[in-house]
Amino acid sequence: MSNQHIFQEMDLSMNALREKVQLMASLTAQNMKNAMRALVSRDIDLARIVIGDDSEVDELEVKIDQLGMDILIRFHPMASDLRAVITAMKTAHNLERISDHAVNIAKRAKKICKSQSSIEVNMVEPLFAMAEQILNDALRAYKDGDSDLGEGLHAADEQLDKAYKKVSASLSSGLENPGTNAENILHLIFVARSIERMGDLAVNIGEDSVFLSKARDIRHEQRKAQS
Amino acid sequence: MVNSPTETPVSTDRAVQIRNVNFSYGSKQVLHDVTLDIPANQVTAFIGPSGCGKSTLIRCINRINDRIPAAKVTSGSIHVHGIDIHREDINLHELRRRVGMVFQKYNPFAKSIYENVVYGLRIAGVKKRSELDEAAEKALTNAALWNEVKDRLHTSAFGLSGGQQQRLCIARVIATEPDIVLMDEPCAALDPLATLKIEELINELKKKFTIVIVTHNMSQATRCSDRTAFMYLGKLIEYGDTMQIFENPGNSQTEAYITGAFG
Repeated sequence: MSNQHIFQEMDLSMNALREKVQLMASLTAQNMKNAMRALVSRDIDLARIVIGDDSEVDELEVKIDQLGMDILIRFHPMASDLRAVITAMKTAHNLERISDHAVNIAKRAKKICKSQSSIEVNMVEPLFAMAEQILNDALRAYKDGDSDLGEGLHAADEQLDKAYKKVSASLSSGLENPGTNAENILHLIFVARSIERMGDLAVNIGEDSVFLSKARDIRHEQRKAQS
Repeated sequence: MVNSPTETPVSTDRAVQIRNVNFSYGSKQVLHDVTLDIPANQVTAFIGPSGCGKSTLIRCINRINDRIPAAKVTSGSIHVHGIDIHREDINLHELRRRVGMVFQKYNPFAKSIYENVVYGLRIAGVKKRSELDEAAEKALTNAALWNEVKDRLHTSAFGLSGGQQQRLCIARVIATEPDIVLMDEPCAALDPLATLKIEELINELKKKFTIVIVTHNMSQATRCSDRTAFMYLGKLIEYGDTMQIFENPGNSQTEAYITGAFG
């Protein structure tokens, strides 16, 4: 799709849009990773970095929306170009929300770090690994136009949902144990919740990558099939 | 439409059926094996680069190309509401009354607004004043022009703005109550607001008429057509629902053209 238009200014704008989404994706993935590292290694400074870096992600979302609007107004994109602009704007929105969840995790990490009692943060690590894999695959599907990869994320997300329910139940039951730090467990329950939501948002990106490459809207298809 | 009463028009939701049409200007073939159906009471847009044959094709539908020496459909057939328009007993005046045409450059006659609208009816022999008045008001109303001209019907058509003159030409066509209105780049000479008025008018007119429009303006095709045909080098490359063509064309040449990658 790149460098193909008679009007080269459109190529420049479309390339700039793609590059901004790629940059935002890298920053978001890094924020997500750093948030988990801050939690696991009880690193308050890293948690603060995650919270600070989120503003850059926010700014990129605004820039991508503005550039997308500019392209719609100036060039009236059609077909794959139109889908590319719409998908870029939707992907930016999903990335911004994923980064928000990274901030949520970082904030919880800060609070957990400040408490003296230890907590089994390793319970959420497998969840995080699953969510991170879904995000990486979704971003690859978007970048490479790999609709099969994008469509296949539903199955991985189902696994994540199941794992989340187990972890959440296990943490909740831990609240009843005498001597546990209930506040920290609650923080961890919310961390698990954020990780699960990150997976959902990454799946959205995968769905949008299918729309981008195949012009097929697969949102809610599973639910429709089940009902 | 035919001189002999042996064949009556067939009621069909396909206003025009074009089958394997080849067309040449002398030795130069400009249409190659074009086949498509144009549905009734919808707007069908033809898009494609200059010289691709889209205007030639729509001008075949009312046989206005017959006026050009050596221009002819060399094979294939065109049916309008089930009637073969190349039958020997076809009445060309009646064909062109039923298949009206609006051109790129508005071309009102050097007459009053009123006389422009009733021109076709007078040619058809209508003389009764009340009948002409009624038809003029109806056509001008349908062309969204009545309120703007009702107080100056007998002034020169040239006193109207470009957009109004084009709507007057549309009124002149629809006054004769055609089935099909062919529009060959009807907004090419108009400013954006006049263009929007014509497009709004097209959306209204399709309730009563079948509209076929040739346009270079792809935004216009998306705004006001139900189906779009992409032509290239005299061939019909792709034809389908307008939204499908502009969202997800099936053909790579169509994709290249509508995304601006053609050249």
